[in-house]
Amino acid sequence: MKDKIIKPDLGFIKEIIAGGGESLKKCYQCATCSVRCSLSPDNEPFPRKEMIKAQWGMKKELLASPDIWLCHQCGDCTTYCPRGAKPGEVLSAIRRLAISHYGFPGFLSRWIGKPKFLPFLLFIPALFLGLAILVKKPLFDKLGIESSVSQKIIFASTTIFPHWLLNSFFAFFSCLAFLSIIIGTIRFWSAMKAQDKGTSPAKSLVKSLILALKRIITHEDFSQCTTNKWRFLAHSLVFFGFIGLSFVSIWVITSSFNPLFQKGLVYPFNLLNPLKIMANLGGVAIVVGCLLMIWNRLKQKNIGTYFDWFFILVLLAVGLSGFATEIFHYARVDTLKVIVYFIHLVFVFILLMYLPYSKFAHLFYRAIALIYAEYSGRSNETK
Amino acid sequence: MNKKLAVYICTGCGIGEALDIEKLLKVGTGEGKAPVCKAHTCLCSQAGIDTINNDCQVEGTNTIIIAGCSSRVNQDAFTFDTSKIIERVNLREQVIWSQPANNEDTQMMAEDYLRMGIVKAQKTELPEPFKPNEDISKTILVIGGGMAGMTASIEAAYAGYEVVLVEKEGVLGGFSARLYKQFPNQPFSLELQEVSHQEKIKEIESIERIKVYTSAKIEKIAGGPGLFDVTLKHKGENVQFRVGAIVLAAGFEPYDPAKLSHLGYGKSANVITSSLMEELAKNGKIKRPSDGKEVKAVAFIQCAGSRDKDLLPYCSTFCCMTSLKQAMYVREQNQEAIAYIFYKDMRTMGLYEDFYIRAQEDEGIFFTKGEIASIEPTQADNLTVTANKTLFGRDIIVEVDMVVLATGIVPTTAIKRIIEEAPIEEKKEEPTVPQDAIIKSDILNLDYRQGPELPGLRYGFPDSHFICFPYETRRTGIYAAGCVRHPMDMAAAMDDAAGAALKAIQCIELTAKGQAVHPRVGDMTYPDLFMQRCTQCKRCTDECPFGALNEDEKFNPLPNITRCRRCGTCMGACPERIISFKNYSIDIVGSSFKAIEVPEEDEKKPRILAFMCENDAIPALDMAGVKRLSYTPYVRVVPVRCLGSINLVWIADALSKGIDGILLIGCKYGDDYQCHFVKGSELANYRLSKVKETLDRLRLESERVKIVQLSINEYDLLPGIFNEFMETMEKVGPNPFKGF
Ligand code: SF4
Ligand code: SF4
Ligand code: SF4
Ligand code: SF4
Repeated sequence: MKDKIIKPDLGFIKEIIAGGGESLKKCYQCATCSVRCSLSPDNEPFPRKEMIKAQWGMKKELLASPDIWLCHQCGDCTTYCPRGAKPGEVLSAIRRLAISHYGFPGFLSRWIGKPKFLPFLLFIPALFLGLAILVKKPLFDKLGIESSVSQKIIFASTTIFPHWLLNSFFAFFSCLAFLSIIIGTIRFWSAMKAQDKGTSPAKSLVKSLILALKRIITHEDFSQCTTNKWRFLAHSLVFFGFIGLSFVSIWVITSSFNPLFQKGLVYPFNLLNPLKIMANLGGVAIVVGCLLMIWNRLKQKNIGTYFDWFFILVLLAVGLSGFATEIFHYARVDTLKVIVYFIHLVFVFILLMYLPYSKFAHLFYRAIALIYAEYSGRSNETK
Repeated sequence: MNKKLAVYICTGCGIGEALDIEKLLKVGTGEGKAPVCKAHTCLCSQAGIDTINNDCQVEGTNTIIIAGCSSRVNQDAFTFDTSKIIERVNLREQVIWSQPANNEDTQMMAEDYLRMGIVKAQKTELPEPFKPNEDISKTILVIGGGMAGMTASIEAAYAGYEVVLVEKEGVLGGFSARLYKQFPNQPFSLELQEVSHQEKIKEIESIERIKVYTSAKIEKIAGGPGLFDVTLKHKGENVQFRVGAIVLAAGFEPYDPAKLSHLGYGKSANVITSSLMEELAKNGKIKRPSDGKEVKAVAFIQCAGSRDKDLLPYCSTFCCMTSLKQAMYVREQNQEAIAYIFYKDMRTMGLYEDFYIRAQEDEGIFFTKGEIASIEPTQADNLTVTANKTLFGRDIIVEVDMVVLATGIVPTTAIKRIIEEAPIEEKKEEPTVPQDAIIKSDILNLDYRQGPELPGLRYGFPDSHFICFPYETRRTGIYAAGCVRHPMDMAAAMDDAAGAALKAIQCIELTAKGQAVHPRVGDMTYPDLFMQRCTQCKRCTDECPFGALNEDEKFNPLPNITRCRRCGTCMGACPERIISFKNYSIDIVGSSFKAIEVPEEDEKKPRILAFMCENDAIPALDMAGVKRLSYTPYVRVVPVRCLGSINLVWIADALSKGIDGILLIGCKYGDDYQCHFVKGSELANYRLSKVKETLDRLRLESERVKIVQLSINEYDLLPGIFNEFMETMEKVGPNPFKGF
């Protein structure tokens, strides 16, 4: 009995309110939102349940709930809430808190969420990249790499950021980021399991994984939104653009031990190379997708939070600076190209390194939640 | 009065084209023997009115029959001086608008209605307003010195009436005097307010016309409107005075928490009611009763006992607002303190929603829907509140310092204060009229034959008819206002008080003119009892829905005309048929339908009679005409004041005249009844259960008499009702008494 007593976590309520859920307390529990939501299960539907829990500051339960991730933030509920309680926004604020809660190390999580740390967050990658450039020469010599080798390479910026340096630099930091997100998602998974203790899995892990992946790739959850139909398109563009770019990048990074390279797919590619086409299309998709998202946010007067904007703008900046580099490259404006390329790398760094703490992490947490929903049988309850 | 008849047939509105006017005029001059009998193209025009007036002057006609539109329209046009008897025959809505034009049956219908009207006019006498022998008082007695009572007194006084205000407590203020603060009662205001009873008390003190008795109790009220003789017990002495009308604003008492042990009441001193919470807040910091500790966490339990069919079945309307207010008390005194509100539904009507939102936005107030499973004391004198059926998907358990039960209200009229031994049941052979429950609440102590207090409608609220007539109780001249009438907040109670005060004034003024009050406002007729033939059967005194008739020691009925609403229920009840009105009696109505020409059996033109209530069924019938709904031409409608006024002798008379079937169409009764005279249609139904004997005696089928309940908006059902009954009559076959 004693342990079941609820003590509202006032701090958590304040955090939700500060993080974009300022309408939270308006909810009067009518359930219009749960009825409207096309993703909500029939049994214990969201988001009303989450609204009440949030009003009562039930932090532990909320953060360990797969439901907050089953929501795809379409905004149907927000549109129809008779009280203006904006459940969609509240859930989004809770998700933000979940990302920061599970994020490791914790201080980075906190920084990402606060605009005042932005200059600092921009400075870190610039610093690291600068340092890398500075130590490049001594490293060259030490490792005995002929700087003239890279000179011959068409993509001339590699003189400043030689390929091997870039690869090892980003590979190193990416590994750190992945380590962090893995820790975060494991924490999340165990929290969900702990909350559900006593219930036996509905499907095997492998099967759950396959089903969840199918759901993610087809974007079927997005296609059910009614008020914001454009989101299906925007999210698909960004999602597949990103997949395409990641694919090309990984290909390139692993090129030295990739047998296919011998068959003409040698980096750098010319413009008609299928991989190059794929990369360019991916970039266009990301830029268009991001612009669509921004346009819609402005149009809907649903401005959203700093947290959301951070991610969208970084993504857009990565795309735009990438294209700018490419243009300056072909136009052979070398100085500008170098500057823009540096900026591009800073944003790529931000995107990848801050992944576990930014909105980008939703990719992983939602994936985990979807797998868990299949695994625990929660998704069988979906309409 | 020497009657001289004038019959006018209006040919406007299409009547002239649809009917054979010549034949109608012959009915007037022939059977009706009317010295003046004319048709006019537009009677309601000035030319038409002039014609009528001119005839009155030149020919000396004084009994005017106007056949044209419904008596419910053009009333101002057809108003003549009081020395004239006016009878209107409805040829428009009830004949040509609902029957085919230039048709034999339509013509017969019109002629029958004209015959009925003429007979009625011939039999009607000029009413004389009732004038009691004693002086009529125009003073208003207000019972209860709370916000409603004080407001009613002030309003009545400002309207120019003397007021006597009686309060049982030592001071004025009522329930509001017990409050710490009141929730905002103006639109858009969100702040808690100082309680406003002090201002009202000052205002009362400044008005000379208001005489206040505090610590006073009413010992007895006798008489009726204009003539209420009141006996007060005040400071040990009896005070007597006469008043004209009464506003009952006796308020409420909080629901008895002793019945709420399932919510922890009685298990711990820290489970309190909202009224006690007001007291705690008034004393400064809110400290819990058990150990005087300042409260840090308080749970409010909404609907404590309310909206529970076994406890208090209704919603008291303001407990949600009260708890929101009290949660703010908790938060005001200590920013760290927390208030939990457990509710079934939050009910904050109208603009109060803003106040609810304000409370919701307070970060220290937590709301949840749920049912309280248990409230248990802990060792530390705290309480754990467990709620299930929450929307969280699981139980909610909180630990608090104190629990406040938001108890509802019980009208003071529902509280039995005079307990007496149960009367020994008299053995009765036949079923009697269901009697009204009168709770002896020791408030009015009426010296009425039917009981000392007001009959309750439901749950002990003394309303008489909440659909149309607010403030009316079942005792004429006594108007209920505020929470005694039904649950309401302070703002509504004050509005209510003004309304009830106006009702009291209307009653006094009409009574002074010898006229009836609502719903037959202005009616100057009243029941006249031909006492020589009375058998002291007590039917009239029993059945009068308004308790207008007292009894002497020998059970002779003693009418109190100013209490009478002129429904005619007594007339319908009296087996000796000795109760009559100047324009409405057993004979007048009986003769009017006996004037109907009943065709011989072989003509295959059956006749059915429909007795229809003037309040709702007749307007519905007019509406059916307006909508041009058509129905059987064999029906003849007889308007009645109330189905309660239908005497069984009419049914016997109609059947022996050869009428094939009889419909009684009146208001709905039962829980949501609309009968304007409260019990009329119910009584008619009860009496019909006895009509079987009559039918058996005449060897007639029981299907020939049927009662139908209809509300005013169901005009579209009327054709179906008539036609279906006609079909039944065709099956049953013609009345064998035809031609006798
Ligand atoms: S968030 Fe809005 S729609 Fe959903 S339960 Fe609350 S008030 Fe109703
Ligand atoms: S934002 Fe869309 S998906 Fe999320 S809870 Fe609301 S309706 Fe459901
Ligand atoms: S007419 Fe109606 S109110 Fe009057 S005494 Fe008869 S039954 Fe009572
Ligand atoms: S019902 Fe008629 S007979 Fe009976 S007591 Fe009344 S007046 Fe007399």
